[in-house]
Amino acid sequence: MVERWRLLDTGLNDAFYNMALDEAIVIARSKGIVPNTLRFFRWDPSSVSIGYFQSMEEEVDIEACNRLGIDYVRRRTGGGAVYHDRDGELTYSLIINEDHRLISRDFQKTYETLCLGLVKGLRLLGVPAEFKPINDIVVNGKKISGNAQTRGMNIVHQHGTILRNVDPALMFTVLRVPSEKIRDKMIKSVGERVTSIEKYLGRDVSFEELKSALIMGFEESFDIELSSGEITDFEKQAALKLKREKYSTKEWNFRR
Amino acid sequence: MFRSEYKVEGGKMIKVQLNKDDGRICAIKITGDFFMHPEELIEDLERSLIGCPLNETIIIETIRNFIEERGITLLGVTPEDFARCIIKAGEGIG
Repeated sequence: MVERWRLLDTGLNDAFYNMALDEAIVIARSKGIVPNTLRFFRWDPSSVSIGYFQSMEEEVDIEACNRLGIDYVRRRTGGGAVYHDRDGELTYSLIINEDHRLISRDFQKTYETLCLGLVKGLRLLGVPAEFKPINDIVVNGKKISGNAQTRGMNIVHQHGTILRNVDPALMFTVLRVPSEKIRDKMIKSVGERVTSIEKYLGRDVSFEELKSALIMGFEESFDIELSSGEITDFEKQAALKLKREKYSTKEWNFRR
Repeated sequence: MFRSEYKVEGGKMIKVQLNKDDGRICAIKITGDFFMHPEELIEDLERSLIGCPLNETIIIETIRNFIEERGITLLGVTPEDFARCIIKAGEGIG
């Protein structure tokens, strides 16, 4: 019997709902209401997410975000600040029971196992991706995906970003840099440190093509079958509540 | 408030803000792009450092003890990295 997981494609949503829905799925999974899940999603408007331990004021140029209509949200996972471009970036989440065969007690090992699904998918597209500890995926040494994991309620939750294309200038308009002087230098050097699927392949790659490849990568790498599903009413209600009471609040987003 | 930043080998960044009184920490905030599980214990970790002298060995010991007692996992940073950043902030540089 092949092991079946749920595949969700929740499309475009705002930052607060996106982060709330991830947590809602974790809760639903921990209650046994839903199966292990792979979710794809995007951000509308484009947004910045920061890691659990980061300071919003230190990492994000709030004024620039407000001017550009870019939202900002704190994640439930650690790691760094990410600019999620509406049209340049795909985000995924994995919500998996902690006692699953893919999950090790060792976080580093689990990052590698779960990231290998993405690596396989990217290779199917012709991108020679490699996992780079702790939590990155690189192509020729340049970062193409960042990932973050947390655990709780007996569930492993990993989410991450896959760059389809990238605009370094915009990235460093919304993310704070140590000084204006080095902004240009950083914009230039980001080209040496970060790449994207379209940049590497030198052609357009649609979100649909990218998702198809990643689905195959996860299925092969995890030895599972992904079946398209919908979010349950429980998840929807929990997500709306978490958005309202947590992810859209100043208390949460500016708590550090 | 004294501030410092410390980039760990391998890439993670630690930032510390602290106030000191007579060579001891009286307020501290540790931020950065590291991983610590469970996440919500960061504030307890900060509290455990209040009253701690700005001495690298003692700070390392305090953090190590806290991590062991509370069953914390750190990824991308070590107690030594936190301590180095705290000491740097305590020196009033940066």
